[in-house]
This record gives sequence, structure tokens and C-alpha cells, in this order.
Amino acid sequence: MYKHTGSRGSGAPGWVLQRITGLLLVIVVIGHYFVMHADPASGHTYAAVLERMHHPLWKMFDLTFITVGLWHGLNGTWGIFRDYKMKPAVSLTIYGVIILSGIAFWVLGVNTILSF
Amino acid sequence: MKVTLRIQRYNPERDSEPYYQEFIVEAGDEKERILDLLHQVKWKFDGTLTFRRSCAHGVCGSDGIRINGRNRLACSTLLRDVNYRKPIVIEPLPSIPIIKDLIVDMSDFYRKYEAVKPYMVNNSPPPEHERYQSNDDAEKLFESAKCILCACCTTSCPSSWSDDNYIGPAALLKAYRFVFDTRDEAADERLDAVDTPDGIWRCHTIFNCVEACPKEINLTWHISQLKKRLTEREM
Repeated sequence: MYKHTGSRGSGAPGWVLQRITGLLLVIVVIGHYFVMHADPASGHTYAAVLERMHHPLWKMFDLTFITVGLWHGLNGTWGIFRDYKMKPAVSLTIYGVIILSGIAFWVLGVNTILSF
Repeated sequence: MKVTLRIQRYNPERDSEPYYQEFIVEAGDEKERILDLLHQVKWKFDGTLTFRRSCAHGVCGSDGIRINGRNRLACSTLLRDVNYRKPIVIEPLPSIPIIKDLIVDMSDFYRKYEAVKPYMVNNSPPPEHERYQSNDDAEKLFESAKCILCACCTTSCPSSWSDDNYIGPAALLKAYRFVFDTRDEAADERLDAVDTPDGIWRCHTIFNCVEACPKEINLTWHISQLKKRLTEREM
């Protein structure tokens, strides 16, 4: 009766994860702000970034940021699209674009972080 | 005093699209109901004006309409509840097909309602007396059981406006009514019925349903309890 392309089983895990990642992002974004923006003089030079990125904990921080941020943002985008009635072909296309762009940006981000 | 009603009219046999028609009616005082004024229009000015009403006392839920942009019951809305110094705009409930004038097609609303099995399911042998329930357990159901199926909530929900497959707050409330009933044995079937892409996850706690409900049911709270129960079951 209520079928929609792109769905996988229960919506509960996605709903809960969206909230958990939202909470994590609040913490990570505050950390990001203090590292990059609180003091305009620090954090932006190549030398500062290079020094920071050699530390495994900072790599973990950035990997978490990119993974959680991408998942939260793209899942939220898909959620907004799903609020509208769509033809299956349109729905599948949008879902595909979201998945592919998510993978592409994640690979790009992880590759950049691990290259240091 | 004179009150102007600006009523949306539509006769599918004659009109290509809805239009508005104004009627000036006489109201005794500001305790007069909008339903009384609609009766006055129908009985004195234009017998073709079509609207539903039955009990006329806020119990049957048949006269849900849009009054000055808000979904309400015509029989429970008094003149003093609206700005009657300006024309009062009367329209059918939004986002569902109009049959004629203020009458809308409720088939889809009832189809979604039926999807959650709005009746007690208990296959165990009946006890000698009634199936007992504690006061505390019954208390959890009282508010949800007040629903009169007027559709004011579902048709006020932006998720229903953007996706007419969305199951809607009225059906979700009824699912709560039985999922949390200790005597019922079909909670999983009801949870399966609402855990769909066009089901409970399309509720974004906008609270339009709570504002619209003429029985003052906090639908969003009940839907949140269902979400909680679903996440406990799935995770």
C-alpha cells in the first residue's frame, strides 16, 4: 500500500542515527570552530595543518567529522526529498545521486586526510 | 448584527474550478456557531450549499472545515473565536479532493486509518468476565481514544500536503491507541503498518495537528511515543 523506492526495511535506525550524528556534529563543529576560526591567526597555515595532521588523534577527529557530517547531511537531504511524492524513476535517480556523491566526497576527504 | 461569510463553492457538474461567494447573514450574538450561520445560508439564501454535519455538538466529527485558514469544527467554533468584523472565510478541508462545496472525499483518509487495524485484536480465549486493565494502563489511552475522525489534523499536516501517501496523524494516533493497549495482541502488525517510507518517519513534529485538533489531543506526543516504541523494537 505504501511503497517507496529506495527504502530498506525499518526507518527506525536511520531516524535514530540522524539524531546521534546531529549531536556528534554539534560537538565536532564546536571543536572545528576553536581549531580553525576562534583565533584567525592560528590554524590556517600549511605548517600548522601539517603539524596537526601528523597526529593520529587529529586524523581520527577529521575522519569522524567527514564521515558523520556527510552521512548526516546526505541522509537529511534524502529525508527532505522523501517528504515529496515522487515517481519511482525520479526517486531512484535522486537516491543514486545522493549515494554516489556521498561515496565520492567520502573517498576524496579520507584520501586527503590520510595523505598527510 | 450582520456577519459576512465568504464561502468556497464548487459544483463539479458546473464549475471548472472552485470560486468564492459572499453571503451576509444575521447573527444574534457572538456565541452563535459557524454551523448556525451555514444553516442560515442554506435555509434562507441558497439551498444548494452543501456541507456535512450530524450531531452538531462536537462529537461526530463530520463538520470539519477550514475557517479563516484554520481547520476546525463548524459546530464547535463560535463567532467570538474568529474575527467576525471582517468576512469569515469558509473553505473545505485542504489537500483532499472536493466532492462538492465544503464536502471532501474522505476515502483515502479512511483507507489509511484502516491500515493500522483500528480495532482490538485478541486471539486468546475470552475470560469469564471482561478483559481487565489497570487504571494506570487505561489512563495511557484516554487522550488518544478521544479522536472523532474529523480529519482536521491530517489535512493540516504539511507532510500530508506534500505527499498524499503519508499515513497521517489520525491513523498514527489510532495505532498508538491499540499498540499501547495492554489487552491488544497485534502491536507488531500495527507497528509494521506505520514503519514505512510514507509512514511515521514523515512526521517532523510540526505540531499543526495539535493546533488543529478540536478535541485538544496532543497528537505529536502520541506519535513520538510510537517512534520510541519502534526504535526500541528495531534496535
